Amino acid sequence: MAAPSSARLLKLALPLISEHGFTRVALSRSVLHLPTPHPEPLSDAAVSALFGHGNVARKTLFNAWLEGGIESMQGSTTSASVKEALHARLAYNEPVLEHLPEAFALLAAPESGLPPIDSVPALKHAARVADQACYISGDPSNRLNWYTKRAALMGIYSAAELHQLNSPKTAHSFLDTLLSTSATIDSSVEEVKLFSSYILRSWAGIVRSRDIL
Amino acid sequence: MKPSHFPLKNLRRGYSTLPSVLPSAIYTDPIRAHEPAISETPELLQIHRRQLDRALRVDQAGEIAANYIYMGQMAILSRDRALKPLIQEMWDQEKKHLAVMDKLQAQHRVRPTVLSEVAKVAGFGLGAVTALMGKEAAMACTEAVETVIGEHYDDQLAELESMPSEHPSLPLLKDVIREFRDDELEHLDIAVEHDAQRAPAHALLSSVVGAGCKVAIELCKRI
Repeated sequence: MAAPSSARLLKLALPLISEHGFTRVALSRSVLHLPTPHPEPLSDAAVSALFGHGNVARKTLFNAWLEGGIESMQGSTTSASVKEALHARLAYNEPVLEHLPEAFALLAAPESGLPPIDSVPALKHAARVADQACYISGDPSNRLNWYTKRAALMGIYSAAELHQLNSPKTAHSFLDTLLSTSATIDSSVEEVKLFSSYILRSWAGIVRSRDIL
Repeated sequence: MKPSHFPLKNLRRGYSTLPSVLPSAIYTDPIRAHEPAISETPELLQIHRRQLDRALRVDQAGEIAANYIYMGQMAILSRDRALKPLIQEMWDQEKKHLAVMDKLQAQHRVRPTVLSEVAKVAGFGLGAVTALMGKEAAMACTEAVETVIGEHYDDQLAELESMPSEHPSLPLLKDVIREFRDDELEHLDIAVEHDAQRAPAHALLSSVVGAGCKVAIELCKRI
Protein backbone atom coordinates (compact mmCIF):
# COMPACT_ATOMS: atom_id res chain seq x y z
CA MET A 1 0.00 0.00 0.00
CA ALA A 2 1.41 3.44 -0.95
CA ALA A 3 2.32 5.75 1.92
CA PRO A 4 -0.19 8.59 2.36
CA SER A 5 1.10 11.93 1.08
CA SER A 6 1.75 14.88 3.39
CA ALA A 7 -1.05 16.78 1.60
CA ARG A 8 -3.51 14.00 2.46
CA LEU A 9 -2.38 13.92 6.09
CA LEU A 10 -2.75 17.71 6.30
CA LYS A 11 -6.37 17.36 5.18
CA LEU A 12 -6.98 14.67 7.79
CA ALA A 13 -5.40 16.88 10.49
CA LEU A 14 -7.76 19.82 9.85
CA PRO A 15 -10.76 18.42 11.79
CA LEU A 16 -8.41 17.70 14.75
CA ILE A 17 -7.48 21.36 15.18
CA SER A 18 -10.54 22.20 17.28
CA GLU A 19 -9.40 19.62 19.87
CA HIS A 20 -5.60 19.81 19.66
CA GLY A 21 -4.98 23.29 18.26
CA PHE A 22 -2.49 24.14 15.51
CA THR A 23 0.06 21.77 16.99
CA ARG A 24 2.37 18.97 15.98
CA VAL A 25 0.05 16.65 18.00
CA ALA A 26 -2.78 17.30 15.51
CA LEU A 27 -0.40 16.41 12.66
CA SER A 28 0.87 13.28 14.38
CA ARG A 29 -2.70 12.06 15.11
CA SER A 30 -3.84 12.56 11.49
CA VAL A 31 -2.72 9.00 10.63
CA LEU A 32 -5.27 7.63 13.11
CA HIS A 33 -8.01 8.86 10.74
CA LEU A 34 -6.78 7.18 7.56
CA PRO A 35 -9.20 4.70 5.93
CA THR A 36 -6.81 2.02 7.25
CA PRO A 37 -5.76 3.75 10.48
CA HIS A 38 -2.25 3.48 11.86
CA PRO A 39 -2.06 1.78 15.28
CA GLU A 40 -0.40 4.82 16.82
CA PRO A 41 0.30 8.49 16.01
CA LEU A 42 3.33 9.56 13.98
CA SER A 43 6.57 10.02 15.85
CA ASP A 44 8.02 13.53 16.25
CA ALA A 45 10.78 12.61 13.77
CA ALA A 46 8.17 11.56 11.21
CA VAL A 47 6.22 14.82 11.70
CA SER A 48 9.48 16.76 11.21
CA ALA A 49 10.34 14.77 8.09
CA LEU A 50 6.88 15.32 6.55
CA PHE A 51 6.01 18.85 7.66
CA GLY A 52 9.20 20.51 8.96
CA HIS A 53 10.90 20.99 12.30
CA GLY A 54 9.49 22.88 15.29
CA ASN A 55 7.09 25.69 14.43
CA VAL A 56 7.50 25.17 10.66
CA ALA A 57 5.17 22.16 10.92
CA ARG A 58 2.62 24.25 12.87
CA LYS A 59 2.79 27.02 10.25
CA THR A 60 2.28 24.41 7.51
CA LEU A 61 -0.85 23.20 9.30
CA PHE A 62 -2.13 26.77 9.78
CA ASN A 63 -1.54 27.61 6.11
CA ALA A 64 -3.43 24.45 5.09
CA TRP A 65 -6.29 25.51 7.38
CA LEU A 66 -6.28 29.02 5.82
CA GLU A 67 -6.43 27.40 2.38
CA GLY A 68 -9.46 25.43 3.55
CA GLY A 69 -10.99 28.73 4.64
CA ILE A 70 -10.70 30.10 1.11
CA GLU A 71 -12.48 26.99 -0.23
CA SER A 72 -15.22 27.30 2.41
CA MET A 73 -16.23 30.74 1.13
CA GLN A 74 -17.79 29.26 -2.02
CA GLY A 75 -20.56 27.53 -0.11
CA SER A 76 -22.99 25.17 -1.82
CA THR A 77 -24.06 27.53 -4.61
CA THR A 78 -22.06 28.45 -7.71
CA SER A 79 -22.18 32.13 -6.89
CA ALA A 80 -22.63 34.16 -3.72
CA SER A 81 -22.54 37.79 -2.74
CA VAL A 82 -19.54 39.39 -1.08
CA LYS A 83 -21.54 39.51 2.17
CA GLU A 84 -22.34 35.77 2.06
CA ALA A 85 -18.73 34.89 1.24
CA LEU A 86 -17.32 36.93 4.14
CA HIS A 87 -19.92 35.54 6.57
CA ALA A 88 -18.98 32.01 5.44
CA ARG A 89 -15.33 32.79 6.12
CA LEU A 90 -16.10 34.12 9.61
CA ALA A 91 -18.18 30.99 10.29
CA TYR A 92 -15.18 28.84 9.28
CA ASN A 93 -13.24 30.44 12.17
CA GLU A 94 -15.81 29.48 14.81
CA PRO A 95 -14.80 25.87 15.62
CA VAL A 96 -11.15 26.88 16.23
CA LEU A 97 -11.58 30.41 17.59
CA GLU A 98 -9.70 29.80 20.83
CA HIS A 99 -6.62 28.61 18.93
CA LEU A 100 -6.52 31.48 16.40
CA PRO A 101 -4.70 34.19 18.42
CA GLU A 102 -1.74 31.87 18.98
CA ALA A 103 -1.82 30.76 15.32
CA PHE A 104 -1.78 34.35 14.03
CA ALA A 105 1.05 35.17 16.44
CA LEU A 106 2.95 32.18 15.07
CA LEU A 107 2.43 33.46 11.54
CA ALA A 108 3.63 36.95 12.51
CA ALA A 109 6.81 35.64 14.18
CA PRO A 110 9.62 36.07 11.64
CA GLU A 111 12.00 33.27 10.67
CA SER A 112 15.02 35.41 11.64
CA GLY A 113 15.49 38.14 14.27
CA LEU A 114 14.46 41.30 12.37
CA PRO A 115 11.88 42.75 11.91
CA PRO A 116 10.30 41.89 15.30
CA ILE A 117 6.93 41.24 13.70
CA ASP A 118 6.31 40.15 10.13
CA SER A 119 2.97 41.61 9.08
CA VAL A 120 3.13 40.32 5.49
CA PRO A 121 1.47 36.90 6.12
CA ALA A 122 -1.51 38.56 7.86
CA LEU A 123 -1.88 41.03 4.98
CA LYS A 124 -1.65 38.15 2.48
CA HIS A 125 -4.37 36.29 4.38
CA ALA A 126 -6.74 39.30 4.30
CA ALA A 127 -5.87 39.96 0.63
CA ARG A 128 -6.69 36.35 -0.34
CA VAL A 129 -10.01 36.47 1.48
CA ALA A 130 -10.90 39.79 -0.19
CA ASP A 131 -9.87 38.53 -3.64
CA GLN A 132 -11.84 35.30 -3.22
CA ALA A 133 -14.93 37.23 -2.09
CA CYS A 134 -14.70 39.45 -5.20
CA TYR A 135 -14.16 36.42 -7.47
CA ILE A 136 -17.07 34.43 -6.04
CA SER A 137 -19.44 37.40 -6.35
CA GLY A 138 -18.33 38.08 -9.96
CA ASP A 139 -17.18 41.58 -9.09
CA PRO A 140 -16.57 43.46 -12.34
CA SER A 141 -14.09 46.01 -10.93
CA ASN A 142 -11.17 46.75 -13.16
CA ARG A 143 -8.20 49.11 -13.39
CA LEU A 144 -7.65 50.96 -10.10
CA ASN A 145 -11.13 50.01 -8.84
CA TRP A 146 -9.82 46.44 -8.61
CA TYR A 147 -7.36 47.61 -5.95
CA THR A 148 -9.70 49.98 -4.07
CA LYS A 149 -12.44 47.35 -3.84
CA ARG A 150 -10.06 44.73 -2.47
CA ALA A 151 -8.36 47.18 -0.10
CA ALA A 152 -11.77 48.12 1.34
CA LEU A 153 -12.76 44.46 1.79
CA MET A 154 -9.38 43.67 3.38
CA GLY A 155 -9.99 46.37 5.96
CA ILE A 156 -13.57 45.24 6.60
CA TYR A 157 -12.70 41.55 6.94
CA SER A 158 -9.62 42.18 9.12
CA ALA A 159 -11.67 44.38 11.47
CA ALA A 160 -14.48 41.79 11.63
CA GLU A 161 -12.03 38.95 12.30
CA LEU A 162 -10.30 40.88 15.08
CA HIS A 163 -13.73 41.68 16.55
CA GLN A 164 -14.61 37.98 16.35
CA LEU A 165 -11.54 37.03 18.42
CA ASN A 166 -12.77 39.30 21.23
CA SER A 167 -16.54 39.03 20.87
CA PRO A 168 -17.58 36.04 18.73
CA LYS A 169 -21.35 36.47 19.22
CA THR A 170 -21.48 39.97 17.71
CA ALA A 171 -18.98 39.35 14.89
CA HIS A 172 -21.52 38.72 12.13
CA SER A 173 -23.61 41.79 12.95
CA PHE A 174 -20.39 43.86 13.16
CA LEU A 175 -19.47 42.63 9.66
CA ASP A 176 -22.93 43.63 8.38
CA THR A 177 -22.49 47.12 9.88
CA LEU A 178 -19.09 47.56 8.25
CA LEU A 179 -20.38 46.38 4.85
CA SER A 180 -23.38 48.71 4.94
CA THR A 181 -21.16 51.66 6.02
CA SER A 182 -18.79 50.88 3.15
CA ALA A 183 -21.70 50.73 0.68
CA THR A 184 -22.95 54.11 1.97
CA ILE A 185 -19.50 55.64 1.56
CA ASP A 186 -19.22 54.20 -1.98
CA SER A 187 -22.57 55.64 -3.05
CA SER A 188 -21.73 59.01 -1.48
CA VAL A 189 -18.42 59.13 -3.36
CA GLU A 190 -20.21 58.28 -6.63
CA GLU A 191 -22.76 61.06 -6.03
CA VAL A 192 -19.99 63.58 -5.30
CA LYS A 193 -18.20 62.53 -8.51
CA LEU A 194 -21.41 62.91 -10.54
CA PHE A 195 -22.23 66.31 -9.06
CA SER A 196 -18.65 67.50 -9.62
CA SER A 197 -18.84 66.43 -13.27
CA TYR A 198 -22.06 68.47 -13.68
CA ILE A 199 -20.37 71.50 -12.15
CA LEU A 200 -17.28 71.09 -14.38
CA ARG A 201 -19.46 70.78 -17.49
CA SER A 202 -21.44 73.86 -16.60
CA TRP A 203 -18.22 75.85 -16.04
CA ALA A 204 -16.85 74.55 -19.38
CA GLY A 205 -20.05 75.74 -21.04
CA ILE A 206 -19.76 79.17 -19.42
CA VAL A 207 -16.09 79.49 -20.47
CA ARG A 208 -16.94 78.50 -24.05
CA SER A 209 -19.87 80.89 -24.24
CA ARG A 210 -17.66 83.78 -23.05
CA ASP A 211 -15.13 82.94 -25.82
CA ILE A 212 -12.33 82.71 -23.25
CA LEU A 213 -10.98 79.52 -24.89
CA MET B 1 10.08 49.59 -47.85
CA LYS B 2 8.80 46.88 -45.52
CA PRO B 3 10.45 46.51 -42.09
CA SER B 4 13.07 43.82 -42.70
CA HIS B 5 13.24 42.55 -39.13
CA PHE B 6 9.72 41.10 -39.07
CA PRO B 7 8.31 38.51 -41.53
CA LEU B 8 4.97 40.10 -42.35
CA LYS B 9 4.03 37.99 -45.35
CA ASN B 10 3.64 34.79 -43.35
CA LEU B 11 1.44 36.42 -40.71
CA ARG B 12 -1.09 38.39 -42.72
CA ARG B 13 -4.65 37.23 -42.10
CA GLY B 14 -7.02 36.89 -45.03
CA TYR B 15 -9.69 39.56 -45.30
CA SER B 16 -12.20 36.84 -46.09
CA THR B 17 -12.33 35.77 -42.40
CA LEU B 18 -15.84 36.36 -41.08
CA PRO B 19 -16.05 38.20 -37.72
CA SER B 20 -18.27 35.49 -36.25
CA VAL B 21 -15.58 32.78 -36.57
CA LEU B 22 -12.85 34.79 -34.90
CA PRO B 23 -11.58 33.19 -31.66
CA SER B 24 -12.27 36.33 -29.63
CA ALA B 25 -15.96 36.25 -30.66
CA ILE B 26 -16.65 33.70 -27.91
CA TYR B 27 -15.81 36.35 -25.32
CA THR B 28 -18.40 38.75 -26.66
CA ASP B 29 -21.16 36.14 -27.04
CA PRO B 30 -23.34 36.21 -23.89
CA ILE B 31 -24.90 32.80 -24.71
CA ARG B 32 -21.52 31.10 -24.25
CA ALA B 33 -20.57 32.99 -21.08
CA HIS B 34 -20.59 29.88 -18.86
CA GLU B 35 -18.43 27.60 -21.03
CA PRO B 36 -15.32 26.37 -19.17
CA ALA B 37 -13.04 27.76 -21.86
CA ILE B 38 -14.03 31.33 -20.98
CA SER B 39 -15.24 31.08 -17.40
CA GLU B 40 -12.58 28.94 -15.69
CA THR B 41 -8.86 29.21 -15.19
CA PRO B 42 -6.68 26.07 -15.18
CA GLU B 43 -4.58 24.74 -12.30
CA LEU B 44 -1.03 25.62 -13.28
CA LEU B 45 2.42 25.27 -11.81
CA GLN B 46 3.54 28.41 -10.02
CA ILE B 47 6.00 29.28 -12.78
CA HIS B 48 3.32 29.00 -15.48
CA ARG B 49 0.79 30.92 -13.36
CA ARG B 50 3.31 33.71 -12.97
CA GLN B 51 4.00 33.76 -16.73
CA LEU B 52 0.26 33.87 -17.51
CA ASP B 53 -0.26 36.60 -14.91
CA ARG B 54 2.46 38.83 -16.35
CA ALA B 55 1.40 38.17 -19.94
CA LEU B 56 -2.24 39.14 -19.43
CA ARG B 57 -1.33 42.11 -17.23
CA VAL B 58 0.91 43.63 -19.88
CA ASP B 59 -1.49 42.76 -22.71
CA GLN B 60 -4.33 44.57 -20.95
CA ALA B 61 -2.09 47.59 -20.27
CA GLY B 62 -0.97 47.58 -23.90
CA GLU B 63 -4.54 47.62 -25.18
CA ILE B 64 -5.38 50.51 -22.82
CA ALA B 65 -2.39 52.45 -24.16
CA ALA B 66 -3.28 51.61 -27.78
CA ASN B 67 -6.84 52.86 -27.26
CA TYR B 68 -5.57 56.15 -25.90
CA ILE B 69 -2.94 56.54 -28.65
CA TYR B 70 -5.70 56.38 -31.25
CA MET B 71 -7.84 58.69 -29.11
CA GLY B 72 -4.99 61.21 -29.07
CA GLN B 73 -4.46 60.89 -32.83
CA MET B 74 -8.17 61.29 -33.48
CA ALA B 75 -8.32 64.42 -31.30
CA ILE B 76 -5.82 66.12 -33.67
CA LEU B 77 -6.51 64.45 -37.02
CA SER B 78 -10.32 64.21 -36.94
CA ARG B 79 -10.56 66.80 -39.70
CA ASP B 80 -8.40 64.79 -42.12
CA ARG B 81 -10.92 63.12 -44.45
CA ALA B 82 -8.52 60.40 -45.58
CA LEU B 83 -7.13 59.42 -42.19
CA LYS B 84 -10.18 59.83 -39.96
CA PRO B 85 -12.00 56.64 -41.07
CA LEU B 86 -8.74 54.64 -40.94
CA ILE B 87 -7.86 55.77 -37.44
CA GLN B 88 -11.48 55.21 -36.36
CA GLU B 89 -11.44 51.64 -37.73
CA MET B 90 -8.16 50.80 -36.02
CA TRP B 91 -9.40 52.38 -32.79
CA ASP B 92 -12.64 50.33 -32.93
CA GLN B 93 -10.55 47.16 -33.24
CA GLU B 94 -8.48 48.17 -30.22
CA LYS B 95 -11.67 48.78 -28.24
CA LYS B 96 -12.72 45.21 -29.04
CA HIS B 97 -9.26 43.95 -28.02
CA LEU B 98 -9.53 45.78 -24.69
CA ALA B 99 -12.99 44.38 -23.97
CA VAL B 100 -11.69 40.84 -24.55
CA MET B 101 -8.55 41.51 -22.48
CA ASP B 102 -10.73 42.72 -19.59
CA LYS B 103 -12.64 39.44 -19.72
CA LEU B 104 -9.42 37.41 -19.88
CA GLN B 105 -8.03 39.31 -16.88
CA ALA B 106 -11.16 38.53 -14.84
CA GLN B 107 -11.31 34.88 -16.02
CA HIS B 108 -7.71 34.09 -15.09
CA ARG B 109 -7.83 36.19 -11.88
CA VAL B 110 -4.93 38.33 -12.98
CA ARG B 111 -3.95 41.41 -10.99
CA PRO B 112 -4.26 44.41 -13.35
CA THR B 113 -1.38 46.84 -13.57
CA VAL B 114 -1.30 49.82 -11.19
CA LEU B 115 0.02 51.84 -14.14
CA SER B 116 -3.28 51.87 -16.08
CA GLU B 117 -3.77 55.62 -15.54
CA VAL B 118 -0.16 56.27 -16.60
CA ALA B 119 -0.78 54.14 -19.71
CA LYS B 120 -3.82 56.30 -20.55
CA VAL B 121 -1.98 59.60 -20.15
CA ALA B 122 1.17 58.42 -21.91
CA GLY B 123 -0.84 56.86 -24.76
CA PHE B 124 -2.94 59.98 -25.33
CA GLY B 125 0.14 62.19 -25.13
CA LEU B 126 2.07 60.05 -27.62
CA GLY B 127 -0.85 59.94 -30.06
CA ALA B 128 -1.53 63.67 -29.85
CA VAL B 129 2.11 64.79 -30.04
CA THR B 130 2.92 62.61 -33.05
CA ALA B 131 -0.33 63.72 -34.74
CA LEU B 132 0.69 67.37 -34.18
CA MET B 133 3.98 66.57 -35.93
CA GLY B 134 2.01 65.57 -39.00
CA LYS B 135 0.03 62.73 -40.57
CA GLU B 136 3.19 60.84 -41.52
CA ALA B 137 4.54 61.08 -37.97
CA ALA B 138 1.24 59.75 -36.60
CA MET B 139 1.48 56.80 -38.97
CA ALA B 140 5.16 56.31 -38.01
CA CYS B 141 4.11 56.17 -34.35
CA THR B 142 1.47 53.54 -35.22
CA GLU B 143 4.07 51.61 -37.23
CA ALA B 144 6.59 51.62 -34.36
CA VAL B 145 4.05 50.69 -31.67
CA GLU B 146 2.46 47.91 -33.74
CA THR B 147 5.89 46.47 -34.61
CA VAL B 148 6.81 46.18 -30.92
CA ILE B 149 3.37 44.77 -30.03
CA GLY B 150 3.50 42.26 -32.91
CA GLU B 151 6.90 40.97 -31.72
CA HIS B 152 5.67 40.94 -28.13
CA TYR B 153 2.58 38.84 -28.98
CA ASP B 154 4.84 36.46 -30.92
CA ASP B 155 7.08 36.02 -27.85
CA GLN B 156 3.98 35.33 -25.74
CA LEU B 157 2.77 32.68 -28.16
CA ALA B 158 6.15 30.93 -27.84
CA GLU B 159 5.86 31.12 -24.03
CA LEU B 160 2.32 29.72 -24.08
CA GLU B 161 3.51 26.72 -26.10
CA SER B 162 5.39 25.53 -23.00
CA MET B 163 2.20 25.45 -20.90
CA PRO B 164 -0.01 22.37 -20.64
CA SER B 165 -3.04 22.62 -22.90
CA GLU B 166 -5.49 20.14 -21.38
CA HIS B 167 -7.77 22.89 -20.11
CA PRO B 168 -9.70 24.46 -23.05
CA SER B 169 -8.94 28.03 -21.93
CA LEU B 170 -5.25 27.87 -22.89
CA PRO B 171 -5.63 26.83 -26.57
CA LEU B 172 -8.35 29.50 -26.82
CA LEU B 173 -5.99 32.08 -25.31
CA LYS B 174 -3.33 31.18 -27.89
CA ASP B 175 -5.90 31.60 -30.68
CA VAL B 176 -7.01 34.97 -29.30
CA ILE B 177 -3.44 36.23 -29.03
CA ARG B 178 -2.72 34.99 -32.55
CA GLU B 179 -5.80 36.86 -33.81
CA PHE B 180 -4.79 40.05 -31.98
CA ARG B 181 -1.23 39.79 -33.26
CA ASP B 182 -2.55 39.57 -36.83
CA ASP B 183 -4.81 42.59 -36.20
CA GLU B 184 -1.85 44.61 -34.94
CA LEU B 185 0.21 43.65 -37.99
CA GLU B 186 -2.65 44.78 -40.23
CA HIS B 187 -2.47 48.14 -38.46
CA LEU B 188 1.26 48.17 -39.14
CA ASP B 189 0.59 47.52 -42.83
CA ILE B 190 -1.98 50.31 -42.93
CA ALA B 191 0.47 52.71 -41.32
CA VAL B 192 3.22 51.83 -43.80
CA GLU B 193 0.80 52.15 -46.75
CA HIS B 194 -0.09 55.65 -45.52
CA ASP B 195 3.42 57.06 -45.69
CA ALA B 196 4.67 56.21 -42.21
CA GLN B 197 8.19 55.93 -43.57
CA ARG B 198 8.05 59.43 -45.06
CA ALA B 199 7.72 60.93 -41.58
CA PRO B 200 10.40 63.44 -40.62
CA ALA B 201 13.23 61.75 -38.68
CA HIS B 202 11.46 58.42 -39.17
CA ALA B 203 14.34 56.31 -37.84
CA LEU B 204 14.74 58.45 -34.71
CA LEU B 205 10.99 58.59 -34.07
CA SER B 206 10.59 54.84 -34.53
CA SER B 207 13.50 53.98 -32.26
CA VAL B 208 12.37 56.37 -29.50
CA VAL B 209 8.76 55.13 -29.62
CA GLY B 210 9.87 51.50 -29.87
CA ALA B 211 12.25 51.83 -26.91
CA GLY B 212 9.53 53.56 -24.88
CA CYS B 213 7.13 50.70 -25.62
CA LYS B 214 9.66 48.09 -24.52
CA VAL B 215 10.29 49.92 -21.23
CA ALA B 216 6.54 50.20 -20.67
CA ILE B 217 6.10 46.47 -21.34
CA GLU B 218 8.76 45.55 -18.75
CA LEU B 219 7.24 47.90 -16.17
CA CYS B 220 3.67 46.72 -16.66
CA LYS B 221 4.75 43.05 -16.38
CA ARG B 222 5.99 43.70 -12.88
CA ILE B 223 3.95 46.57 -11.38
